[in-house]
Amino acid sequence: MAKTYAPTDLIANRRLYWIAAGLAVVMMAPVLWIIGLSIKDNAELMRGTQQVFSAPYTVVNYLNILKSSNVFGWFLNSLIVALGQTVGVLILSSLAGYAFARLEFPFRRTLFVIVLFGLAVPEQVVIIARHQMFNWFGLHNTHIALILPGLSSAFGVFLMAQFFRAIPRDIDEAALLDNTPPFRIFWRVLMPLTLPAQATLGIFTFLLAWNDYWWPLISATKKEMFTLTIGIASSQTNFAQSEGLGFLSAQAVFAALPIVVVYIFFQRHIVTAVSGGAVK
Amino acid sequence: MKRFLLGTAAGAAMSIASAAMADTTIELQRFFGACDADYGTVTDVSAAVGECGIITALVNKFEADNPGIDVNVTTVEWPGYDQLNAQLASGAAPDVVSMHYSVISDYQSRGLLEPLDGLLAGQGIDPAAFTDAGRGGVTKDGQMFGLPFDNWTMLFHVNTNLMAQAGLMNADGTPMLPNSIDDLFAMGAKFKEATGKPYLVQILANETAAYARVLYTLLQQQNSDFFADPTAIKLNTPEAVAAVELMKRIKDEGLSTEAMDYPAAVSGFTNGEGGIAINGTWLIGSFEAQSHEDGNALSGGGYTVYPIPQFFGGRDSTYADGHGWVVPKGALEDAEKAEAIGKLFKFLADNDFQWARTGHLPAVSAVFDMPEFQGLPHRANIAEIAQTGTSLPAEVQRQFAIQDIIGEEVGSAVNGDKSVAEALSSAEARINDLLANL
Repeated sequence: MAKTYAPTDLIANRRLYWIAAGLAVVMMAPVLWIIGLSIKDNAELMRGTQQVFSAPYTVVNYLNILKSSNVFGWFLNSLIVALGQTVGVLILSSLAGYAFARLEFPFRRTLFVIVLFGLAVPEQVVIIARHQMFNWFGLHNTHIALILPGLSSAFGVFLMAQFFRAIPRDIDEAALLDNTPPFRIFWRVLMPLTLPAQATLGIFTFLLAWNDYWWPLISATKKEMFTLTIGIASSQTNFAQSEGLGFLSAQAVFAALPIVVVYIFFQRHIVTAVSGGAVK
Repeated sequence: MKRFLLGTAAGAAMSIASAAMADTTIELQRFFGACDADYGTVTDVSAAVGECGIITALVNKFEADNPGIDVNVTTVEWPGYDQLNAQLASGAAPDVVSMHYSVISDYQSRGLLEPLDGLLAGQGIDPAAFTDAGRGGVTKDGQMFGLPFDNWTMLFHVNTNLMAQAGLMNADGTPMLPNSIDDLFAMGAKFKEATGKPYLVQILANETAAYARVLYTLLQQQNSDFFADPTAIKLNTPEAVAAVELMKRIKDEGLSTEAMDYPAAVSGFTNGEGGIAINGTWLIGSFEAQSHEDGNALSGGGYTVYPIPQFFGGRDSTYADGHGWVVPKGALEDAEKAEAIGKLFKFLADNDFQWARTGHLPAVSAVFDMPEFQGLPHRANIAEIAQTGTSLPAEVQRQFAIQDIIGEEVGSAVNGDKSVAEALSSAEARINDLLANL
């Protein structure tokens, strides 16, 4: 039987919708603003960004992206780094999380606490030491250098360990009774159950890697190795970008496209992740 | 057959030799942006406009003229020193880097730059060919550590349409500009009364550099030797108080636009939100172009530009900095590459006029006498800056960080968050703490 609503509920719901719509407009405003800027002539924008509200509009900024040979290389670099980090983090965090949640080994709790300390250490603290280490190994200006630091994800290990702990041990024990080897239990029995957490972790890792600025700034110093964030920043046409604003905005829109796609396809998982559903 | 084989071998040898010549690559790292879409293949430098366009075309032209040399350009986000630091730390510095004169001492004092006297002499570049401001900007401990490329400074960009509306134009079509503090406030009041707009368009939000540059200018105009000791600044002085109080009074009496950041100040001036923009040399080309377009407040040729007037009785002076090209340590060890870099520097010095079209002042003295330069709009108005432009002493290190501190503290005073005395004391203490712990 369908649920019925009292008129007061409907009014309240309608108010909620209006509030939600208002908030959505506020959230969308910067996105619409930058899309608007991207389809305006640079010289017009120098006279003031209010020009965005009036015609004419142009796609010349997007055509200029196509003409600029570096942007696609930067895009590819970002894709390699973001996917490399995502796959690596999922593998390592799943293995480590499983180990901390299910296996007995010496100093397990101590090691887990040490891993959790990683959540409290900001990147700035280790950046110089890390830069020197990568220098010793001659790794700067390589994809490996851009991927490796992101693989040590304390958050990922914590998330996966919590998720594995939430899975009843009865499932492992049932598999053991069937003489299933431990790795097969991990891979075939438990891993499929962790898909929500994997999705959450994968999305967050991809987004963080895609948007990372600081480490690529100092590790990838050759233009061929720039990621999109660094490449776009380097394209600013003058001090404080009072000129070329349309072109810069077009590049920003272009750079954001993969993120938008990720959001569209994984919206449900992102909402679950942000609301904490992945660790319940 | 023998001849054929010999001929083939000789041809192959020549091909290999020319390929070897073509292998000389200069890794050049610079700011000024990337504009490959518009200028990636342009070799006619005179057809290029703007910083990015002109430097891109200059490099293209150099490569076209020197088939044996490839210049691999990496553009960095302004100013790019974080990346350069990382590159130097990892031993992967480029061969040639764009650098502000005010930053050279930071790197030179740590032995990270090559002295260039020999390289420049080898190309027949005479240090005397550069302006005092240009040569002084790159000279440390008696040696040149960069190729001077330009000088830049803050200017009075004037909207003559609004000045005419306010009755502040002379009969010869030049704007009336203040020659004293009293003049400034009198003209400002007259301007506001006639137009309803503030006299000045200033960058007062989200930026520190403008405050520092104006303060340096006002201190220099009072003959204040605030960096008599390059390792310690003196800001607890009557001159500094007078300078900051003037900056604060301008804001308090409504003589200036408020809360504008850099882009807002640029577009605000173009939109006629005030009469005079205090901004840099690099905007001359853009404002001039807009004055010949329709639909903005400068339309109809309503733009001109002058140096910041002398407000105090000491001397006519404006704080100036500049852009140069430096060579990180070790890049000259390869003789072939050193020769190529020398040729590039010679080319850039020979084409300094082209760079001066950006609005920056030339670093090569002879450019000032070129009819082409004199024919550029407004250059005669600002040529005096070659004499009146004054940098901080070359020995002062961390000038960008000092600029940030001054900007924060003076900004607090101008916006009323701190008293003038408190802000200056704080700035002095913070800067001296910074310089004492290098």
